[in-house]
Amino acid sequence: MPREIITLQLGQCGNQIGMEFWKQLCAEHGISPEGILEEYATEGTDRKDVFFYQADDEHYIPRAVLLDLEPRVINGIMNSPYSNLYNPENIYLSKHGGGAGNNWASGYSQAERLYDDIFDIIDREADGSDSLEGFVLCHSIAGGTGSGMGSFLLERLNDRFPKKLIQTYSVFPNLDEMSDVVVQPYNSILTLKRLTQNADCVVVLDNTALHRIAAERLHIEKPSFAQINQLVSVVMSTSTTTLRYPGYMNNDLIGLIASLIPTPRLHYLMTGYTPLSTDPQVASVRKTTVLDVMRRLLQPKNMMVSTPVHRQANHCYISILNIIQGEVDPTQVHKSLQRIRERKLAQFIPWGPASIQVALSRKSPYIQTAHRVSGLMLANHTSISSLFDRTLRQYDKLRKREAFMDQFKKEAVFKDNLDEFDNSREVLQQLVDEYGAATRPDYLTWGTQQASASAERS
Amino acid sequence: MSDHEFKIHHDVSELMKQLGIQSTDAVGAEVYTDMLQKNKTPYITTQVSSHQCKRKIAESTKTPIEFLAKYDELKAKNLRDLDPFVFLLSKLVDEKEVKEFLEKHGREKAEAFGMTLLPHNKITSELPAPGTRMTQQELSELRDRLLKESVPTATTRSDIIRKALKEKEVKRNVNLPHQPDWLFQRPTLTLDFMVGVDGPQDQNILPLGSLPSAMQEQAVIDDILCCMQGYEGKYILARALTERFAPKEFMIDQSLDTSLQELVKRILPLCSNYSTVVRFIEVNYSLSFQDYMVLVAQLEHQMRIGSLTLQKLWFYIQPTMRTMEILALVANSVNRGECIGGTVLSLLHDKTSSLIGVLIIERVVEIIHKKYSLGIFLYTFISSQNHWLASLILRFWRSGSTRELSMTLTQSISFVKQKLLRIISLNLFTYWEQHYTICQERIPVFLQQVADKILNTGKYLNVVRLCGQDVKCPNAEEIVFTLKERTYYDQIEKAYSYASKLLLDLLMEEKDLMARIKSVKHYFLLDKGDFIVQFMDMTEEEMKEGIENIVVNRLESLLELALRTSTANIDPYKDDLRVNLLPYDLITMMFKILSIETNMEKDYRIDPTDLNLTGLESFSFDYVVKWPVSLVLNRKALTRYQMLFRHLFYTKHVERQLCSVWVGNKMAKTYSIQSTRWYSAAFALRQRMLNFVQNFEYYMMFEVVEPYWHSFQAKMETVSNIDEVLSIHTNFLNDCLKDCMLMHPQLLKIVHKLMMVCVTFSNFIQRLSMSTQLGGHASPTGSSAFQGKPSRKEFTEKQKQVLSQHVDDLVSSENFERTIGNFDSNFSRLLIDLLGKIREFSSANCDSKLLNILYRLDFNGFYTEKLEAMSAQRAMMEMSLQSSESGSSDSHPTSFTTQRPENVRYVPGLHKQGQAQSGE
Repeated sequence: MPREIITLQLGQCGNQIGMEFWKQLCAEHGISPEGILEEYATEGTDRKDVFFYQADDEHYIPRAVLLDLEPRVINGIMNSPYSNLYNPENIYLSKHGGGAGNNWASGYSQAERLYDDIFDIIDREADGSDSLEGFVLCHSIAGGTGSGMGSFLLERLNDRFPKKLIQTYSVFPNLDEMSDVVVQPYNSILTLKRLTQNADCVVVLDNTALHRIAAERLHIEKPSFAQINQLVSVVMSTSTTTLRYPGYMNNDLIGLIASLIPTPRLHYLMTGYTPLSTDPQVASVRKTTVLDVMRRLLQPKNMMVSTPVHRQANHCYISILNIIQGEVDPTQVHKSLQRIRERKLAQFIPWGPASIQVALSRKSPYIQTAHRVSGLMLANHTSISSLFDRTLRQYDKLRKREAFMDQFKKEAVFKDNLDEFDNSREVLQQLVDEYGAATRPDYLTWGTQQASASAERS
Repeated sequence: MSDHEFKIHHDVSELMKQLGIQSTDAVGAEVYTDMLQKNKTPYITTQVSSHQCKRKIAESTKTPIEFLAKYDELKAKNLRDLDPFVFLLSKLVDEKEVKEFLEKHGREKAEAFGMTLLPHNKITSELPAPGTRMTQQELSELRDRLLKESVPTATTRSDIIRKALKEKEVKRNVNLPHQPDWLFQRPTLTLDFMVGVDGPQDQNILPLGSLPSAMQEQAVIDDILCCMQGYEGKYILARALTERFAPKEFMIDQSLDTSLQELVKRILPLCSNYSTVVRFIEVNYSLSFQDYMVLVAQLEHQMRIGSLTLQKLWFYIQPTMRTMEILALVANSVNRGECIGGTVLSLLHDKTSSLIGVLIIERVVEIIHKKYSLGIFLYTFISSQNHWLASLILRFWRSGSTRELSMTLTQSISFVKQKLLRIISLNLFTYWEQHYTICQERIPVFLQQVADKILNTGKYLNVVRLCGQDVKCPNAEEIVFTLKERTYYDQIEKAYSYASKLLLDLLMEEKDLMARIKSVKHYFLLDKGDFIVQFMDMTEEEMKEGIENIVVNRLESLLELALRTSTANIDPYKDDLRVNLLPYDLITMMFKILSIETNMEKDYRIDPTDLNLTGLESFSFDYVVKWPVSLVLNRKALTRYQMLFRHLFYTKHVERQLCSVWVGNKMAKTYSIQSTRWYSAAFALRQRMLNFVQNFEYYMMFEVVEPYWHSFQAKMETVSNIDEVLSIHTNFLNDCLKDCMLMHPQLLKIVHKLMMVCVTFSNFIQRLSMSTQLGGHASPTGSSAFQGKPSRKEFTEKQKQVLSQHVDDLVSSENFERTIGNFDSNFSRLLIDLLGKIREFSSANCDSKLLNILYRLDFNGFYTEKLEAMSAQRAMMEMSLQSSESGSSDSHPTSFTTQRPENVRYVPGLHKQGQAQSGE
């Protein structure tokens, strides 16, 4: 009876990163692409049943649900060596297969229509687990299926499983390049409302930053999706490593995220990873110490979110969790923390105690890495709001021109009015404000101030 | 406290008890002890000093002869510490005061016992008669004076008294083989003289005087040769013995020529000595007199061929006479002292050393050497009572026939073999420490230094034996009696290293000790976190119950399920884990332990009426440990593990409670932003609690347990014997206990209170959210009701609004704010208090890890200000106390969230308006 976690992969992007995630997990646990436990992995001390269940003695099947409205990516998976890994009943492809056309509203309404089918799968999967801890959702916020269907699922999951945790790995669009999806800001803002109100923890995977890291740190000129997705899968697998290789602490999802998220709305997490490499052979072998890892994790260039962390002086960390893997002398951790504290390498909130939590975790014995120690940082930083701010501005620009509204008005949600847009914008604006307030010492009375302010206005 | 100090304390208290000094003099006892410790100097016995003392006492007493006789008697018994005792008494003679006091007390005591003190008792109280009870009591009273006077021998004093007493009472519960009655009832089975059986019956004996002197000589020689072999001659008759060990006396025909008679008288002591030795041998040991018999035979031959004259005989027996004399001396000492075993050896050792210089000594040593081959054997045997007696045995060997002489070491408990294993498991707590003890008085003096080693060797081998393995010491050689102690040491050293290696290998290799300890660590130190989480998940309901409502069987089965379905499954020893419900919670337990031997002890007596423990508070794991692993994982160690476990487990529980508050409150994010006002205070508090609990856990697990575990493992790689393993293991546990604050009652108390605040807080919030949910569900909801309906969105919006409003109503009351405020100020006060105490503590103890907590909890300096304020305040208070003794400002820093500005005070009416507006 582990605390099971069900992974939901939505849309093109969600399925792609999901697939990379499962590849990584299989490799770490010694499970072959067919789901059969490798000979060398039978004596493992790892915990596979959080993410897998056993069909029989040797077959491991991911607790994953694959959903898409168009067949391309899922067909790709079905033609890969991993085609037999998944439970075929858990793969749902919309029958007409036309996709959502990068339209949030389309994805949302289609999901609404497919509600029964989708929740049949999810319910079955949830029934199959003894003490389900929560869901992990993989999707992008800019497209149609991932954002629209994702938004719908987030709402309904909350209704249906009010006590379960919902964590998402949400891919934010690359803002450096011109996107072929012109309605990105619309999709994003509508999805962000749901992420704010219905998800418990959002791990932000910022395509802008991922591309920048690929180019600058890994020296890949034109990074492919696969290379970017591998970065993502490393982040995803590392952030679940304490669940899969249990130690003293952080052995359940709640234990991981509860301390990261002090107030429910401020639940957007940034990630950082070091040492970065997509290809193990290229990796430069360096003697890495815990302090090195922790210091590098605090450097903006290793962050996978494109927000200038240190440029705005008053932005600060609400919380940090470092998951450190490999052979670590536990006494080093304390020393490193002391150094970071002395040198004031991280700025923390003024309204409550905050510190760098360090979770020490084992590494998979089946994957050879060049690095003795590696680390992932999950950080709750107020500067994430600049990402939302940017989205808001882009949205405002589009919205002013009422551009591309026709497609949205076609769908049920927007048939009568565009209130949903306004509402979403307001929620997001409030979120940005709240992040701003969180940099100030009087954050805890901020809600009251807002209330009395609005009361005065009326 | 070292053993030594402890002994002094013990002696002093014993003395005080004996003297009937009221315990209200508590101060006195310590003063005395201190004085004793300071003034103690080693007392060295020398012949001269003891002689002087003896004389001094003899002079001052009215019955010097009795005293000297008593002294000699005791000396003959080879009583240890006799000389220091006499020395003490001689000192006492000078002390009028004490004498008077003693007399007075002695009389009082005697009267109390209904006796009258005979006049001579006054004097004998100065006499060394440790066998009598009176003396002991009286002696005890000397203490006061001793302290004033700084007499160095104080420690030995009560030792000897106790020893003397013990000797009387216990009367040698030795395990000497029983000597059958026939040995005494069949007088003809002896090599000694048979008195009055045959000799006088012969009517043909002519009086010697009627023979010529040459004939007289021959007859006497014949008689002497007979006497030398233990027969009575015709003219030399043995007198019946007055007591068993008295020297033999002879009657010589008075008509014998005077000159011959003189010579015969000189020779006869040899026969007398022979008799003594023979008697001794028959009772105690088999000794062959080969040399001696050969001599007698040769003499007889000489006589037959007529070349033996009495003079010649005298000449021939010279060396033998001396030898026999010494042997008789030894025999007498042994007999008179009722020595056995080790004491015999000590005696032999003493005698041989004291005879050094006498020419004959080499001969004696040779004889002893030949006759007694001293073997030291580690040995267990079943005695006739079918009791197991495990001990180190010194044996005397003689040509294959052996007889156990004694136990040098003997068990404090002996028990029936069948019950052995069960009893061992019951007595595990004390087994290793108390199962074997050394009987000091039975250890041969020359082995004194290695006594502990012998004890350990015996212990190790016994353990191996108890595991069903036969032990054959490969290098068990005969140990030859010698004056050089080194040779024994080498032998013993060899045996010791063999035994320790044997047992260590047995434990480490065969019994897989490290894996066992690792397994224990998995469960007791929460190393296998997933298992713990799973177990806590499954037993959540049970744990909430009161201790009397818990079905232990159910817990056991849940435990097993959790073990099988988590990563603990791969642990081969998982089945030894058990559930245990203790009738007291950890805090009570700790305080009970910590308060032992302090005057606080009474405060922590458990009051059975207020025992309302929940399962969680009384829960602990237990672990079935089989012999011989239980030597290391003994009760003491397991209890330490249990303490750690309960501490960690409870902390984990608090963390989970706070996490479930988090889950319960996660819905709050869908509420309109204005309603955040009610939760922000509660959230911030929850966050601070979580921050505290998690960091505390991190600290205990990653900064205390894990590093100590690492060094423990490293040390275990290099251990060489099991005692080392024990001490390393105990140190590991003690270090953990210490740094997890379990050894600091002050800190522990605060931590406990902090946990309590956290739990109460989370209960409060959970109750609250439960009632909100009920309120929410009062409106017709249920996800299926509005499935797919277009109105769903509006509906949920409305529902949310209703919900948040409901929550608002619930919490907007002053009551809620006040409650949260109370929690907040309680928590903050305690936490600041804790941090302050830790800071204080670690400035006094630099090596402590406790300061790390401070670093962790105050990482962003959130508490620094408050801490400084507190220390400043304390300094202020101290100042004011010093100056006027009136400053009593006890205003601790309190809430962190009550810094709300006055102008934004919440007004319910206004708020509802604002919300209504924003909802549209």
